[in-house]
Amino acid sequence: MSFVHPALLWGLLAAGIPLAVHLFFRRRPRPTPFPAIEFVLRARRETQRRLRLKKVLLFTARTLLLGAVAFAIARPQAQRGGGAAAAVARGPRATAVVLDASGSMRYRLGGRPLFDRARQDALRALAELAPEEPATAVVCGMDPVQVEPPSFDRAAVRRVLESAQATAGYGDLTACVTAAVRALAAARAQDGLPKRLVVATDLAASAWRLDVPAPAVDGPKGPVRPEVTILDAARGADLPNHAVVGLDAEPDPAAGPRGYRFTALLSNHAKEPLADVPLSLVVGTGPSARTAIRAFAEVPANGTSRKTLLHAFPQGGPAAVKVALPQDALADDDARALAIVVPREIRALVVDGAPSPVKYRDEAYFVESALASPASPVRPRLVDAEAFPQEDLSKVDVVLLLNVRSVGARAAELARFVEGGGGLFVAVGDQVDPELYGRELGELLPMSLHVEKSAAGPDAAGGPRAARFAEVDFEHPALSIFQGDAREGLLGVRTSRYLLAKPRPGGGGARVLARFDDGAPALVEARRGRGRVLLFTSTADHDWTDWPIRTSFLPAMQRFAGFLAGALEERREPPAPVGARRTIRLDDGEALVALVDPGGRELGRAELERSGLAEPSAGLVEWTPREPGLWQVKVRSRGEERVEPRLAFAVTPEPRESDTRRLAPAELTAWFGGEGHARVEGGGRAVAGGREVPLWSVLLALGVAAFFLEGLLLA
Amino acid sequence: MPEPKRPLLDPAVLAKLDSLKLRVRAITEGVLTGLHKSPHHGQSVEFAEHKEYAPGDEIRHIDWKAYGKFDKYYVKQFEQETNLRAYLVVDASGSMGYRADPGRLTKLEYASALAASLAYLLVRQQDAAGLVLVQDRVAASVPPRATANHLAPILDALEGAKAGGTTRLSAAVDWIIEHAQRRSSVLVFSDLFDPEERILKKLAQLGRRKHEVTLFHVLDPAELEFPFDDPTLFLSMEDDRQVEAHGRDVRKGYLEVLHRWLDEVRRTAAEADVDYALCRTDRPLDEVLLPFLARRERSAA
Repeated sequence: MSFVHPALLWGLLAAGIPLAVHLFFRRRPRPTPFPAIEFVLRARRETQRRLRLKKVLLFTARTLLLGAVAFAIARPQAQRGGGAAAAVARGPRATAVVLDASGSMRYRLGGRPLFDRARQDALRALAELAPEEPATAVVCGMDPVQVEPPSFDRAAVRRVLESAQATAGYGDLTACVTAAVRALAAARAQDGLPKRLVVATDLAASAWRLDVPAPAVDGPKGPVRPEVTILDAARGADLPNHAVVGLDAEPDPAAGPRGYRFTALLSNHAKEPLADVPLSLVVGTGPSARTAIRAFAEVPANGTSRKTLLHAFPQGGPAAVKVALPQDALADDDARALAIVVPREIRALVVDGAPSPVKYRDEAYFVESALASPASPVRPRLVDAEAFPQEDLSKVDVVLLLNVRSVGARAAELARFVEGGGGLFVAVGDQVDPELYGRELGELLPMSLHVEKSAAGPDAAGGPRAARFAEVDFEHPALSIFQGDAREGLLGVRTSRYLLAKPRPGGGGARVLARFDDGAPALVEARRGRGRVLLFTSTADHDWTDWPIRTSFLPAMQRFAGFLAGALEERREPPAPVGARRTIRLDDGEALVALVDPGGRELGRAELERSGLAEPSAGLVEWTPREPGLWQVKVRSRGEERVEPRLAFAVTPEPRESDTRRLAPAELTAWFGGEGHARVEGGGRAVAGGREVPLWSVLLALGVAAFFLEGLLLA
Repeated sequence: MPEPKRPLLDPAVLAKLDSLKLRVRAITEGVLTGLHKSPHHGQSVEFAEHKEYAPGDEIRHIDWKAYGKFDKYYVKQFEQETNLRAYLVVDASGSMGYRADPGRLTKLEYASALAASLAYLLVRQQDAAGLVLVQDRVAASVPPRATANHLAPILDALEGAKAGGTTRLSAAVDWIIEHAQRRSSVLVFSDLFDPEERILKKLAQLGRRKHEVTLFHVLDPAELEFPFDDPTLFLSMEDDRQVEAHGRDVRKGYLEVLHRWLDEVRRTAAEADVDYALCRTDRPLDEVLLPFLARRERSAA
């Protein structure tokens, strides 16, 4: 016997109410003096047996009434017996039981996950096998499929099914069924036995690939189709589901400083459209989480829609956001999390080596404009070369020297600034004396400056000869934003003059980001201590190059500032789907203590190692998250344990599992070879008729009969 | 707050009874002139006939005028009217203290009111009325007297009666047999909840001794209708018995047993020539007295 709503079986406790009332709520008899007590005694003696019988019947009727109604509400279904006897009649078969453990099986129907029903179906199918029928089990989730050949160890097969858990990832039932058939065929000792597949699933169409041939077993007379029984865990019911299937975050100046535009892709796999469904943007994690935006969305039936939400973060740094729809029967995909790094404010000191009252002739005009543009994370402050010595370098993140003749006595301080983690950008010009720079900045520069060079001769277009960028390292974080057509904005820069830079012996840690087409270094980067230095061998105004007036200049300067300030490394890896390997990069001195799952449960190091945690090298930890949502990382650093926001990462649910639209049973049976080979059981729309007999109507009739019996007895 | 004493002699009831005369049958003998005919010939105020003198006759009743005419001794005989001698037997056992409704009389109060009313009527017409209060024994007695001031001790005894003890009406029967030398009327007021099952047979002994027995069967409406619906612990009013029962469950059985018992009482009373009247304590007293007196008058006529 099975139940459509087993959770409602708690209602059976109501059958104990009459007993409880009898035991605990019995009315105390009121003492009453009465002269004719002799008659009461005689009457009681004469009617005692009848009364006792009446009471027993009344108690039984009431208990039966409540019990039958509670039992009926749980919708019991009797299983038609005779499975084993039927097996004897048709002869033994080798059977593979495939249990769908994909993400859609977490769908709750009637308060109970489909996976539980499917497992119950699979176990019942296993129990109905005759002892001489070998069997195997395949759990089809996001993990790689492992199939043992059919055996007579029924307990082992049952253990496989009983220990299976519904995963959050994608399960390819076509692949699992193929693997199961392959396993059935692999047992040569069972060659003579017919093959049978039992698939317990929700019939979600996304799990099947019906464009490939159905699996078959090679027989002496060619491929033989196995007999297939599909056990529909949804019992023919539709599985409407809405989901957040995508979430993108892009900086958006329209939202203000540190403003972001979040674009959520919503899907609705139901016959009815979603209208005015609440959509919320939650910022933060744990107790500090707050709903920043409440909006409404509309999603057409069996369609998708996009919803854009704007939010400005109050401060820079790591942040976690979540876009959520109201929870439905499949809760995994109702929210999608994202871990981002909101750009921190970068304080830049721009030292103007050639100021001019005419703006566009000012050496720092273009740089300052690029850095101070709206939505830029950089806050530039402009000083001329004479004022530079008075500046406090501890209050800036990056120093930009633009055509500065000399740093004079501040050279040593500047070197300490870089060694301590500061960034230095150097652009040259007619004020720069390479020899003087060599003396003052010495080893600080990535390469030593040499001589000025002019591009000679006309170019191919007949204009003045100009050098162009070549061999650009687009993999470098500072230049990686230039993708596709955007690269043209960089490669089209024309430079007429520049300083030649000479590599130091041994390289000096320099990395050339771009060269001119004659091979001369144009952009050179080097690390000095904890800081970085970037050298541009031409001017930051348009005296020697037209780069400042090109579209690539503004993003490039902002990226340079971010790179020099170390802000670009704070980028997050994009969210990976559930089941994908994740790399966690720890800083020096940090050790992983635990991971906090999206539900707030802490997984200790030992538990993580049991579930596949690996540490390929120092500071690198790899692990496979199995649940969607935002994961947080707890580390130990300097003897202190803390949840490190920088390391939090988002895991997205598998979008294919959000599509709960079901296959028509006829379509699936046709793929398996028609009704002669396959049948679907367990639903009102079953092709081959269900074997479950509903009992609730009988129970309700019993309850009504008990009700009338009670009335009769009371009358 | 003490309950106000109930008037045992209800003037309204007595006003209705004023036009009726209590007559007992001719077999009752008395000494006072009244409405009742005496079965004995002797001293009388009304001449009946002559009889020839025989030794033993009162010499003073010889009719000397007849002797002068007939030369034989004739003795005058008179049909003498006499009064009623009535014993009012009131059951004062514990069960008579019952009343289901505090607004009604207890059975003892009701019986006392009945007995007092009858005593008043008897004394008023020069009949003798006596009182026997019985519990498990005769608790109190007032010998029959026909004087007006005799009413006071009867009323005092009735008003002072407290319900208690078990019922043993046979004690009253034995007491009357012992003390009533002449034929008397015995009026019994009881609920008959007597552990002695054959109490009516015992009352029949009085009939065999030429006493006229009338039984006023006093019952509370609750005893006749059993209006209990809830679980109830019934406590005996005369001993330690108690029984727990759901009123609704046992009502039908109780009424069956009760009616069987009432039928048995009526049948036995009729066989023993005992007048029987069922008295519900929620009914006015005159509804009991008037039919009783009317019946008596008819039988006397």
